[in-house]
Amino acid sequence: MTTSSRANSRGSATADRVVRHALPDRVFHWISAACVLILLGTAFLPIVGVEFAWVAVHWMTGVVLAAAVLFHIARVLVRGTLRSMWIGRADLTDALDVAGAALRRTFPTRRPGKYSVAQKLIHHAFAIVVLTTLVTGGFLLLRIDAPWWQRNPYLFTDATWGIVYILHGLAALMLVTMVMMHVYFALRPEKLKFTRAMIFGWITRREFNEHHDPQRWQVDR
Amino acid sequence: MELFRVSRDIYGRETLQGMSWDLLWVFIGLGCVLIVGHAVYRLILAPKQR
Repeated sequence: MTTSSRANSRGSATADRVVRHALPDRVFHWISAACVLILLGTAFLPIVGVEFAWVAVHWMTGVVLAAAVLFHIARVLVRGTLRSMWIGRADLTDALDVAGAALRRTFPTRRPGKYSVAQKLIHHAFAIVVLTTLVTGGFLLLRIDAPWWQRNPYLFTDATWGIVYILHGLAALMLVTMVMMHVYFALRPEKLKFTRAMIFGWITRREFNEHHDPQRWQVDR
Repeated sequence: MELFRVSRDIYGRETLQGMSWDLLWVFIGLGCVLIVGHAVYRLILAPKQR
């Protein structure tokens, strides 16, 4: 691969490739994905009858996921890229355009920036649900013995613990549906470019020109 | 189908234990419905990709 055909990892571009996801962001995504799948498996397989010692694997994986999320938040804050996920007026106009196009059975006329409004919404949905599982899971850690502390089930009243369990369980159940949808869309033919970008980091210049507004996602020429 | 798991404490009061795990199949089913619904929409109603 020549230098001109290899996109660099700083969000810039070469003649034929545009970097969409830098390596640290991809590593975060796939570590988070692996953690979520392990957490869902260790949470729900025993419920459907697959018995195994799930507690230790579950909480340790949760700690890894929490560390990954903290890394992601810190990286976003340090790089000042929080705005790339902000849903602004242009995104609402995009959403109306997409909805109108769906009703008319035509293609949307507007092109999004780096992320479409649907991608921003699914990001925020995952953020809310995963953070809910992590915060409530952090409290639930206090109910088991771990190398760093002794269990303390009396921190909250039974009623409060019940709410913690409900929030943890509801978020986990929502994750099941959301992961199913996320994998489905990642495997759809028209979305494979985004999946490739999450693996290798780049989209082609042609994909960039066809699907993104260069005024709203400015990359180096 | 219950929404919550409950138990009774030593005073006989109901105590929340968490979400009912019967709902797991509801959420899996919801995911299947959304996936099939979108796939059918794309197959039949949506304009073909340029």
